[in-house]
Amino acid sequence: MMEIIDYALWLYMYSVLVAIAAVAIYGVVARPNILKKIIALTILGDTANTFIIFIGYRLGSTTPPIITTLTPTPEQISAFVAASVDPVPQCLVITAIVINMAVTALLIFLAIQAYRLYRTLHVKNLARLRG
Amino acid sequence: MKVKPVASVSVLIILAAAVLAIALGATGYTPSLELRPLAEFYLKHCLNPFKKEYWAASPEAVTSMLWDYRGLDTVYETTVFFLAIIGSVAVFRFAEAALTSYKEAEKGKPKAEEGLSLIVRVITRIVFVLIVALSAAIALHGHLTPGGGFQAGSIFAVAPLLAIAAFSRRFLEELGLTKNKCLAIRTTGLLAIALIALIPLAFVLMGFAGSFIIQNQPKPWALHPVFPGFPVNLGPIWLAGTLILFNIAEYLTVASGFTLLFILLALPEEFFRRLMGK
Repeated sequence: MMEIIDYALWLYMYSVLVAIAAVAIYGVVARPNILKKIIALTILGDTANTFIIFIGYRLGSTTPPIITTLTPTPEQISAFVAASVDPVPQCLVITAIVINMAVTALLIFLAIQAYRLYRTLHVKNLARLRG
Repeated sequence: MKVKPVASVSVLIILAAAVLAIALGATGYTPSLELRPLAEFYLKHCLNPFKKEYWAASPEAVTSMLWDYRGLDTVYETTVFFLAIIGSVAVFRFAEAALTSYKEAEKGKPKAEEGLSLIVRVITRIVFVLIVALSAAIALHGHLTPGGGFQAGSIFAVAPLLAIAAFSRRFLEELGLTKNKCLAIRTTGLLAIALIALIPLAFVLMGFAGSFIIQNQPKPWALHPVFPGFPVNLGPIWLAGTLILFNIAEYLTVASGFTLLFILLALPEEFFRRLMGK
């Protein structure tokens, strides 16, 4: 019984993440306001990062991937390997978060500059303006 | 709101494809009791004094992957960060002129009127110091405890943002965090990363064949004489070779990069408008 509940919760988490990603993609594709496109893009990035961290979860282990001693014995190393979560997704995500933040900042700077020049953030109106 | 058919259909297709991919097992075997073989290798060898040919000399698996096993990847990601910030500065190329006219206009104003209420300002002063101290601790301990250069830089970035909101841009300028100084610190950090990465190549010129870019610890299978590697500890202080150096350099880069962006964003809009004639 517990296994079925576990599996159902797991599927529920996956579907929530996919649904958020779908909403974010809709926002990027269909919303005409550039600011809303940027907000949707940050939501998409955060969903992707959560998804990657989620994949790194390991059943029954709650230890972060850090050895607590500087002079480990072979037994301590094998106990650490047996208990620790997957470090690869964490490693992938930490750079992605910072790069995401920097790219968002660049997009915001571009949006501010576009607003200063054209007094609008609506994509259709921006496309009509020339020069 | 009018529903757009092309957008809705494409979102539905993406949704269906994602669900199908997960149902067919695109995410591997999650949740699982076993580790993936790659993760097992990293966990087994990040601090393994019995297999020193594979170790990164750091008890923190994430940092040892970030700056040793996958070091080149992180350097390229730092390049993306560099380009994003350079792009932002280039877009705000009017900022220098706006800054000058802003300073001239600010000269006459009395200083006490700036910022939010007294309570907010006092608390912000306390929190500002705490944030900077915490971020420095996370950067310097990045090879021993959870954290590292990226994390510490992102935490530091909150401090100037808070200061701009509670005081004004002038508070940062009095601390010495001007636009050009931030650019200089950021460039120094990036240069430090590049130099640390290239030190093993300099050893190749000195006759130590078989060393490679971003090498941390010596590899015994390399041609003799073997590259000695970076120092693992300095007396009782654990250094973990290049990891602490990369963490500090990355901390400076990320922290000053984000401070630079916030300083540019905090420039008053009217000066830009006046300069651009709009």
